[in-house]
Amino acid sequence: MDKPEQQQLFEQILELHKGILFKVAHAYYPDAKDRQDLVQEMMLQIWKSINRYDDQFKMTTWLYRISLNVAISYHRKNSTRHQKFSKLTDQMVDIPMEDKSDNEIKLNLLEQFIGELKEIDKALMILYLEEKSHAEIADILGLSISNVGTKIGRIKEQLKLKFSHLKSESHE
Amino acid sequence: MNDLELIKLWQVSQVSLEDNMKFNRQSIEEITHLKVHGILGSMKPFKKFALLIGFLWVSIGVSLLSPIYLNSYSEANKFFLFSASIQVGLTALALLVYLYQRITIYQVDLTEPILRTQKKLARLQATTLWTARILVLQLPFWTTFWWNDTLLNQWGMWQWAITLVVTLASIGLALWLFFHLTYENRNKQWFQLIFSSKEWEPLMKSIALLEQLEAYPKQETRA
Repeated sequence: MDKPEQQQLFEQILELHKGILFKVAHAYYPDAKDRQDLVQEMMLQIWKSINRYDDQFKMTTWLYRISLNVAISYHRKNSTRHQKFSKLTDQMVDIPMEDKSDNEIKLNLLEQFIGELKEIDKALMILYLEEKSHAEIADILGLSISNVGTKIGRIKEQLKLKFSHLKSESHE
Repeated sequence: MNDLELIKLWQVSQVSLEDNMKFNRQSIEEITHLKVHGILGSMKPFKKFALLIGFLWVSIGVSLLSPIYLNSYSEANKFFLFSASIQVGLTALALLVYLYQRITIYQVDLTEPILRTQKKLARLQATTLWTARILVLQLPFWTTFWWNDTLLNQWGMWQWAITLVVTLASIGLALWLFFHLTYENRNKQWFQLIFSSKEWEPLMKSIALLEQLEAYPKQETRA
């Protein structure tokens, strides 16, 4: 693949699937500044890996693998925000500072719950909420389909318990 | 709350997020022209500084010790010569292990499945322990490099006793740390105390991630 082709594919990928990058970054990093760095790193890794993309695999699977791998590794490497790329500026990626919804209490609880999950469980939960099939989740994470089902079941149970606590508290 | 409600709730939150998502076209073009930093560029300044000091230490050590071996070995103080050589050698070995680890981490393919990639990365990161284990072996040689024949012949019993106690204690401590600074001891209080500073955070996080990954049954993990 020559450079103009590579550039065109890169732009297409970002245009069509930017949501994956933002959603993963948002789930792993509530802080907007960290998220900007994280999305920049994801973009850079996509650009670096684009030549190795094999179109027999689903594009979204490939993108989820990169963005989740970057997000989990980023968490391990960085305790505080730090700028890594000299030429990239904060204005390069435009991410909202506040993301509020109507259903605030439940939504805050869901976000809080996802925020408290361990790295791999968080990836599982994001993919489940994005309505990915168990087979695709298994492919992205490198787990068996049955293991995906078991793990998701356990995480959902914890979440439901949390919501039922909230409900009982609001009735008191 | 059932599954459907849960997914709907998530989607509602993502809609507002998506509405605000924007990539600046110019930025996308910029990234494709961006010169990606190499292995050194990807390291934090503190680590680069530590690496530089390490290289300087080894270079100075080699340039000072080599002429002694080549030109004045017979007259040289062997305590100093061997102690300093071992210290420099161990530092060089630790630097090589650390550099090899950084380069391997840098080359890991992030398009592979998450569990496989993260296991590889966390294991590599956890090998930082080897750098620490190699470096603690230097400890006894800091207690012997200043010995010399004249001093040893003039020492009295008490001086001998104190010197031997210090050296033997440092040998014991170095060996104990070398054999005990392992992943298996990660939950011990002394281990966590040694690695409690911010510089060791990636190591401790890698260990925590490895523990998390171990919770996924091995036989069910896809190749």
